[in-house]
Amino acid sequence: MVRKRQPSKQMRILLDALSAEREQWRHGYDLMKETGLSSGTLYPLLMRMTDQGLVEAEWREPAQPGRPARHAYRLTAAGFALALERPGGGEHLPATASLA
Amino acid sequence: MNAPLSRAIMAVAVCCLDESRREWSAAMRVEFETVAVEGKPLPFAIGCLAAAWREMLTREQGRFTLTNYALALGLMIPMAALQIGCALFGFPYLYPGQDGLRGALLEGAAHEILIRGVYQAAVPSLALLLLLLGLGHLRIAWAMLERDWARVKRMGTLMLAAAATLIIFMGVLFLDSSQALLQVAVLTIELATVPMVARWHAQLFPAAVTEHPGYADPLP
Repeated sequence: MVRKRQPSKQMRILLDALSAEREQWRHGYDLMKETGLSSGTLYPLLMRMTDQGLVEAEWREPAQPGRPARHAYRLTAAGFALALERPGGGEHLPATASLA
Repeated sequence: MNAPLSRAIMAVAVCCLDESRREWSAAMRVEFETVAVEGKPLPFAIGCLAAAWREMLTREQGRFTLTNYALALGLMIPMAALQIGCALFGFPYLYPGQDGLRGALLEGAAHEILIRGVYQAAVPSLALLLLLLGLGHLRIAWAMLERDWARVKRMGTLMLAAAATLIIFMGVLFLDSSQALLQVAVLTIELATVPMVARWHAQLFPAAVTEHPGYADPLP
């Protein structure tokens, strides 16, 4: 189910961060540092966006061996479309970003 | 100090998220370990706790959990404390005038000498009944948090029997059981809410009803 309402300010910030590197899996802490959102804002947003099919989540093995797998996130096609839809959404996106 | 506190807060946050959000609670916990090494774990843990509470309020499973905890901690435990306190500290709230057993004995009155022996014989049994009611409340609160409705049903039946006995006892001995009647009324209200909570639980988690048939029929 795709969200019809206009994204909130926080969601826009998150959409920006995730759409800047569309194919890249991102961790919660990295997103917090990049967006300035607190964990209390970021995680409910990620949960909601995952429920709505805007974000996909997956357990990813870490770069350093011996560390536990971490939950990682990236935009789905619908999420990326939403990032592009919003006013001025795609202007600063990298040229390589696509709806793949 | 910060590290144990943030770990404790994180543990509470993880517990607050219901079964359907287990993956997210695991994700937060793993991320917390990274934050603990690289950053400030306390704000992260507090944020996760806020996120978990927000989730609880927005989802029916969460509202169910909150209601269940509110009933157990806000109703069952205070009633247990009142009854255990009454039993251990000489029934200060149970008798007319709130003078406890001293008032009930009509100390100094002419007929005190006539009733003292009877009352002294009765008091241990009354205290035991009240203590059982208090402990029953504690056990019910625990079973509610464990969502063990079959046990809640058994305990509720026993407590109703104990409360009825207490009223009869007090009626015969003290001729005024208004305080005990009040406690029984509260107990009845409490036990009437339990089937509602149990039915709500059965609607939300039908699998639990299949595994534990006692859930479906919580109270007689």
